[in-house]
Amino acid sequence: MEYTISLVGNPNVGKTSLYNRITHSLEHVGNWHGVTVTEVSKKIMFDHNTVNMVDLPGLYSLSVYSPEEGISRDRILDKSSDLIINICEVNNLARNLYLTLQLLELDVPTVLVVNMMDELKKQGKVLNYRKIEKVLKIPIVPMSAKYHSDVHLLMQVALDHIQTHGANTVNLEYLEKLPLDDVVSIIGANAANAGFVPRWAAIKVLENDAFVLEKLNLNELQIKALEAMGDMQARVAQVRYEFIDKITEGAISRSVSDEHHEMHEHTEHNVPIEREGEPEEERDKKDKHARHHDKHKKSERLKMLGFSRIDKIVLNKYLALPIFLLVMALIFVVTFGLVGKFFTWLLELGIDKLIYNPLTKWLVKIKCPAWIVGLVGDGIIHGVGGILVFLPQIVLLFFFLALLEDSGYISRVAFMTDGIFRKIGLSGRSAFTMLMGFGCSATAVLTARGLEDDTMRKKTVLLTPFMSCSARLPVYSTVAAAFFAAGSPFVIFGMYVLGAAVALLLAALFEKCVKPLKSGKLSFIMEMPPYRFPTAERVFQIIWNNAKVFLIRVGTVIFALNVIVWLLSNFSFTAGYTVGKNAKSILELISGWIAPVFKPFGFGNWKAVTSLLSGLVAKEVVISSIESLGGVEAIFTGSHASLSALTFMVFTLLYVPCVATLVAIRKEAGLKWMFFSLGLQIGVAYVVSLLFYGVGLLYYLNKGVFIGCIIVAAVVAVCISVFIGRLRGKKACPYCAGGCGTCSKTCKKTNRDKK
Amino acid sequence: MTLLDAQVNTKYKVCGVSGEGNARRRLLDMGFTPECSLYIAGVAPMGGTVLVGLRGFLVALREDAASLIQIKAAS
Repeated sequence: MEYTISLVGNPNVGKTSLYNRITHSLEHVGNWHGVTVTEVSKKIMFDHNTVNMVDLPGLYSLSVYSPEEGISRDRILDKSSDLIINICEVNNLARNLYLTLQLLELDVPTVLVVNMMDELKKQGKVLNYRKIEKVLKIPIVPMSAKYHSDVHLLMQVALDHIQTHGANTVNLEYLEKLPLDDVVSIIGANAANAGFVPRWAAIKVLENDAFVLEKLNLNELQIKALEAMGDMQARVAQVRYEFIDKITEGAISRSVSDEHHEMHEHTEHNVPIEREGEPEEERDKKDKHARHHDKHKKSERLKMLGFSRIDKIVLNKYLALPIFLLVMALIFVVTFGLVGKFFTWLLELGIDKLIYNPLTKWLVKIKCPAWIVGLVGDGIIHGVGGILVFLPQIVLLFFFLALLEDSGYISRVAFMTDGIFRKIGLSGRSAFTMLMGFGCSATAVLTARGLEDDTMRKKTVLLTPFMSCSARLPVYSTVAAAFFAAGSPFVIFGMYVLGAAVALLLAALFEKCVKPLKSGKLSFIMEMPPYRFPTAERVFQIIWNNAKVFLIRVGTVIFALNVIVWLLSNFSFTAGYTVGKNAKSILELISGWIAPVFKPFGFGNWKAVTSLLSGLVAKEVVISSIESLGGVEAIFTGSHASLSALTFMVFTLLYVPCVATLVAIRKEAGLKWMFFSLGLQIGVAYVVSLLFYGVGLLYYLNKGVFIGCIIVAAVVAVCISVFIGRLRGKKACPYCAGGCGTCSKTCKKTNRDKK
Repeated sequence: MTLLDAQVNTKYKVCGVSGEGNARRRLLDMGFTPECSLYIAGVAPMGGTVLVGLRGFLVALREDAASLIQIKAAS
């Protein structure tokens, strides 16, 4: 038999972790909300059955909020799955069961998985899941998907349930508190026409669900009749939560002894579930009691408390941003400084001594034509090898990104930067996407789907390419090492900061000047995951996934492009192999036409242009082209070589990341915005490079004039900001610079302070 | 009073959620229902965004969303 089973649940409960366990996949997981933004599926064999497992983006309710939640809602409503595995997280059981109830209202066959049992165990508690099972009348399987779990048992239960389940007999008693019959009498016919079960549609109508209301296509009379019933939206949520509180009361209790870690039916001390939700002092009081009660748990309790204390420092009003910058600086120093550099140097040495030297010697010995020696030696080994040596640095970068993601810190970053982002019409959630942009622009752009607002999503998508991705890293490293030696880590860090600064400035500019990109007041509601210890397995998985992608790129796209670039730059249309001859190669001709465009930056030569052009396919190729065209020194010449090299880095940072990113932008924002983005990237790259080179030149030529100009610029900037501040101060309340949505004459905070 | 007037680390109870549309629905779905207890765990460095603890989890809210939540002191 063939079955389809979908994984459904709140965000960040471990759906993808479980999916990876069941299907032996390596899909991206992380400790933050909205990692999965699209449907993923894989067929597996189980017990002579073909099971099509579907992993869906997380959602809180069937009334959706952002486009990626819509994917899950559609999948649940079209009933194309034979079974839904609903995953709950044991720490947030109440809120998770809220979705479960909605699945039961819809009467889709469901098996409930309660995940993260390991965390409950660490707190010395057990879950009496049988009690909930009895009420909801669906099978419940407790699990720890992050660690090894009995996936076999779950699949057995799931397939059994598909074969044996009848109509759900669960008594959702809270529904009686809602005037469902009245609503059904109004919308019954419409619901049947739209293909909904009338009673279910009635619940959704009470919830004021836009999607269902649109499908029902009600007439004015019906709408009026419904409006007469008053606002029931809050009531629906309330009765569901009341029911949940009733069935979960006492379900989680302290385990009796350390030896019995099994989830057994024991409910001695009824401790409410609401632990994290309690104020610190009260929690401390209870914890003192607990320590007295059970000395064995002492160390673990302290650890749990320690976790919430981390937030006290990390999210401290004054320390939060400095800590964040320190963390980022540390990551860059380790990745680009000593550690990363050492491994890269080691690899470089290895390639040179073990491959390049013997191979070229051997090729010369067997009397190969000179162009083959050149192609293999310079085109392939130096070009491709020049990229390969950055594997250690890329591994390090993704190691740190994995730690940021898996620990839960990345969500704190979103929270603490929300203040800045709000002012420029973005939300802290955009910080996710932009931070992921340090890894890979193309995949980061796709994560923007979790942003609920259309304008904000477009803006985030447009700005993410300016965040310096890992493919640009080899370019900075090589160029900076050649010209700035010891200072190179600082130069590289400067590039990252410049990229982020350009992105933020552009966002501010869009918000003020580009109408279709003005997002105005927006709400920001984002769950904060608890800190979790990253497991070695998951960190390794993220590193391995990205290293694999990198190696495949090196072996395919970069390799092929390098051969093409080398051939085109060493052969001419008429004279064949050009080395040693007085003839212009094909690329020398083509790039030579474009080269004058880059004259103002000091690198208006065909080699630099060629490398930038080939970089459109993949940014690493910029440096591999340079290597195969004679190295950095051959390109940046003249009296201001280091300045033009620096400008080259700036241009590389800001111009089009790669074709794949453009494709991703088209997918998320549409063709029109893709072209806008293309123009924006090239335009910004050109203008900023021009400014950069100009200012740099001024510095080299006359330091006095340079310092004078800086002072004048600073004074002008201060004047402008003060002037704008004055203008603004008249309109907006002082707490939000106009973005909070509550500021008007009735701003509560201002009123209160006036009193 | 609304969540905007709440003191940090003090327990309150939800009276209701005002407003309309997506933000209100999301708040209700997340469990800001009457009689549910909550507290403010922290304020973002630049202000304007608060971290609220309820039902065993933490959620970050901007002031506009926080202003929709009516609260009373916990007895």
